[in-house]
Amino acid sequence: MSQHAPRTHNRKDDEHGTLASYVAGFILSLLLTAGAYLLVENKALSGTVLLSAILGLAVLQMCVQILFFLHLGRGPKPLYNVVFFFGTVGIILMVVIGSVFIMNNLHYNMSPSETVRMLAQEESLSQVNGNKTGACQETHENHRVTINRGRATPYQVKAKLCDTLTFINEDTDLRDIAFGPHDDHKNYGGEAGVSLRTAYPKTITLNETGTFSYHDDLELSMTGTFTVVE
Amino acid sequence: MVKHHESHEEAANDRVMFGFWVYLMSDLLMFSILFAVYAVLSKNTLDGPTGREIFSRPLALAETLILLTSSFTSGVGMIAARKGNKQQVLGWFSATFLLGAAFLVLEMKEFTEFISEGHTISTNAFFSSFFALVGTHGLHIISALLWLGLILIFIMKRGLTTSMVRKLSLLSLFWHFLDIVWIFIFTFVYLRAFV
Repeated sequence: MSQHAPRTHNRKDDEHGTLASYVAGFILSLLLTAGAYLLVENKALSGTVLLSAILGLAVLQMCVQILFFLHLGRGPKPLYNVVFFFGTVGIILMVVIGSVFIMNNLHYNMSPSETVRMLAQEESLSQVNGNKTGACQETHENHRVTINRGRATPYQVKAKLCDTLTFINEDTDLRDIAFGPHDDHKNYGGEAGVSLRTAYPKTITLNETGTFSYHDDLELSMTGTFTVVE
Repeated sequence: MVKHHESHEEAANDRVMFGFWVYLMSDLLMFSILFAVYAVLSKNTLDGPTGREIFSRPLALAETLILLTSSFTSGVGMIAARKGNKQQVLGWFSATFLLGAAFLVLEMKEFTEFISEGHTISTNAFFSSFFALVGTHGLHIISALLWLGLILIFIMKRGLTTSMVRKLSLLSLFWHFLDIVWIFIFTFVYLRAFV
């Protein structure tokens, strides 16, 4: 009994494929793999076109293997497994395209370049996602601005890139230092502003070049500027 | 009477195949989610190396060709199994087993290289999603190899029974399925890094 060969029927031959179908599937798969590999190796196309091309070749190879190796659709009728397969493909498309779309959108909205800059600055990361952040790997000279009786001294600070600037509040009021003009606040180096309590100095790294003004959002007459050069 | 018995057998086979197919489809869903995670996180390298800097294209190609060939040998082995040729079945499926083991050795070599260079699953989001996706596929390969090894031992001891042929056909379905998943790993993880 143990050596008894299972009978073959016409239906079975049809359903499970022949040596020829396996050889054909194997050769086609080899060609499609080589095609995708050579496209990338030779950089025959570029960017999105290349990515679409190799993904297209992968999908084609999946179809080849499903037809020649899995023999999908050649089983008994009704074709429950074909229906199930396409149902799964539908769910996969929703899950994958949906998550990638949502996460990219979230990523875009949650990580404005300013935030990336700020985080990069804090962690001393010189690049994020392959882009230079402009973050300073090491800081150089320190400049100080002392705020006393509503006046910043010195009024003008001249500094080099990657120097640091320390704000010291000698008044009793809380100071809310903002950059740019009052009606149009700007971020500097990823920082929206500096909140300054009495006798608690705050230091920022000067990682953007140009001339910038700042003011106290709670006492608009308190202003100052700093210029950062390369 | 024999005819009647065989049609029962066939119906049972169809049910088992369909049940296994449902399992494969849910497994495919799990892989698709790991792919989506990789798609979202693969650029978050936190100042570490990107895929382009550490992946080896020839290694990935070798793994792909090995797995593709093993998928072919398991298919040819199934033809022999349906004809009841025990020696050919043992030959083709042993080849499948050895190719699968070779694939696993290459993958382990790659993983240990990454880890010895300090790139572990907790290094950054890129490596987390990479190890999760490729590692899950590797675990599937390991379990398929264990399964195949047991089937081969049983065939050697008890001969090529109908129930063994059924087990082999499930295994070869699983093996083709893992090959198809790997094609997408090869394309989407390894080749995409160089686009």
